[in-house]
Amino acid sequence: MKTIEQFREDFENTLNLSKGRIKNIRSKAFDKFISGKFPTRKDEYWKYSDPSSILKLDLKFNDSGSFDNENYDIILSNGKIVKTPTNLKTGSVAEGLDNGDIPEELLKEEKNQFLNLNNAFAINGCYLILDSEVKKNVKILNLISNDGRNQAIYPKLIIIAKKNSDSTIFEEIRVKGTGINFVNSVTDIIIENGANLEHIILDDHAKDTYNISNVCVKQKRDSNFISHNFSMGKKLARRDFNIELLDTGANCDLYGLYFVDGNNHIDHHTTIEHKKEHCTSNEHYKGILSGKAVGVFNGRIHVHPGAQKTDAIQNNQNLLLTDDAIIHTKPELEIYADDVKCTHGATVGQLDEKALFYLRARGLNHKGAQELLMRAYVGEIINHISNKNIRSEMMDIVLKRLPKGD
Amino acid sequence: MLKITNLHASVEGTSILKGIDLEVKAGETHAIMGPNGSGKSTLAQVLAGHEDYEVNKGEVSYLGKDLLELDVDERACEGVFLAFQYPVELPGVNNTYFLKSALNAQRKYRGEPEIDAMEFMDLIGDKIKLLNLKDSLLKRPVNEGFSGGEKKRNEIFQMAVLEPKLALLDETDSGLDIDALRVVAGGVNAMRNENNATIVVTHYQRLLNYIVPDFVHVLVDGKIINSGDRTLAIELEEKGYDKIIEESKA
Repeated sequence: MKTIEQFREDFENTLNLSKGRIKNIRSKAFDKFISGKFPTRKDEYWKYSDPSSILKLDLKFNDSGSFDNENYDIILSNGKIVKTPTNLKTGSVAEGLDNGDIPEELLKEEKNQFLNLNNAFAINGCYLILDSEVKKNVKILNLISNDGRNQAIYPKLIIIAKKNSDSTIFEEIRVKGTGINFVNSVTDIIIENGANLEHIILDDHAKDTYNISNVCVKQKRDSNFISHNFSMGKKLARRDFNIELLDTGANCDLYGLYFVDGNNHIDHHTTIEHKKEHCTSNEHYKGILSGKAVGVFNGRIHVHPGAQKTDAIQNNQNLLLTDDAIIHTKPELEIYADDVKCTHGATVGQLDEKALFYLRARGLNHKGAQELLMRAYVGEIINHISNKNIRSEMMDIVLKRLPKGD
Repeated sequence: MLKITNLHASVEGTSILKGIDLEVKAGETHAIMGPNGSGKSTLAQVLAGHEDYEVNKGEVSYLGKDLLELDVDERACEGVFLAFQYPVELPGVNNTYFLKSALNAQRKYRGEPEIDAMEFMDLIGDKIKLLNLKDSLLKRPVNEGFSGGEKKRNEIFQMAVLEPKLALLDETDSGLDIDALRVVAGGVNAMRNENNATIVVTHYQRLLNYIVPDFVHVLVDGKIINSGDRTLAIELEEKGYDKIIEESKA
């Protein structure tokens, strides 16, 4: 419980850094966090990932550090804005709340304790407005750098895609240095009527990092959200997608690839709330696990009463390269409307021996044959990225980070 | 080129090949015929290096090397090509990419530089015409959604690109209609020369009207019981396997 007390001390020490609306929001969020229970394995949604291990880390808040790289439009270093572009409407979360760009209810108290904790430390977060009727490509770097501490970092990013905008956001989480990181990151996205947002999120293998990442998306009428999630194993890694299809005609496509090896861990809980009729969702997640890695996939589709003509597809496929790797995969369908189409499927398997033999019979060695099959396996996800350059860049990155089988 | 001596092989403890002797010289085409379950396909698989088959006895020498010591991919790089009876579908693996990877793997093995993109496109352009395949098949995943005939033609197309020294055609005629059979045979024939050899494994003599063999061997219960020229195949077709088996016992 020492860490909880440290959270309190950090919170009290930093509260006066905030002014205006954010100060009140932070206080409320912290009260909610501290009066509630920190999740444990006894909670259904944490059954296979033990968040209480975070409480043994003796963490201290840190937002120091600077970094620049011309490839990125926005850079957060340990959660703090260190670079913003001049040609985009951006600012700190505190400013956005005060000038009315960010609706206050976006940061209300939540059931999810990690959202409350992130809000409680919303000191440095960044927001970005994608203007109406405009097409934008924005690259964001979320850098976690550590010089040997046990540090707690709270990156926060708010993206608001205005009516009929059409944008691609590339968000990268990179971990540098040594030491233990607890990274509690939140990306909040609002997609207004008729807007189209493609969101690519990529992170890195980091064995001493505990990353709890939440992507919360609110979609309005006829909006379209296409998510490409590339996540790598960590000491503890969990990324949740919470998608709310708030009005008719909204569509989301969630594509995901996760790789985990060694003794690392990865967990994805995705929730799609079909709140209104005529919304569609399509989810395809694939994993490659090796070593003694543990993976978790829980895909929840919740069709609310009245959300007729919902069309929801979910598919999770897993490749286990070693006997000791474990995957827990579970679809969760909760349907309260009678005229809907929902399908789900999950598979767990190894690389196809027949295919390996066929490739080797044409001259590829075992490693080459394996790589070719894995390239095909990941290609099925990567090929959905609409921008050709990003697609080939992602293919290169992914191929470098593939877990090694044998 | 290939010399098989007293070859015995089994799968999961069941003995299938029970003493095969066969010599194939460069420039020759041999046909292996036999009833179902005689071991024809096993022979092709063992020569290609399938790890499910265990060689219990015997020797196979190929171009002066001990073939059985080589892994499946090394055999391919040394010029052994198996045209599969059931070509494997590879979802997500682009046919052109696959072929280029295979060709470059073989070139690398031989110490040759990788083929450049233009040269490769010219090469496959020539070969695809030979097999009368649609260009669109090149862009599709390997064998996925191909018809039976397209799969078999794709095998021979790969063979044409990889230019093996020893081609093993495992029931390449099965599932082919007469037009496809002609195209496939035409492709194989166009590749025949004095430096390479072909072993055709088949159930029916039909294919041998198009790919005319120099020698025909009858394989029964894991042994070659009779060898001859192509008239043996015609005799087989007329009399049936039972009769030939009886005659050879006598």
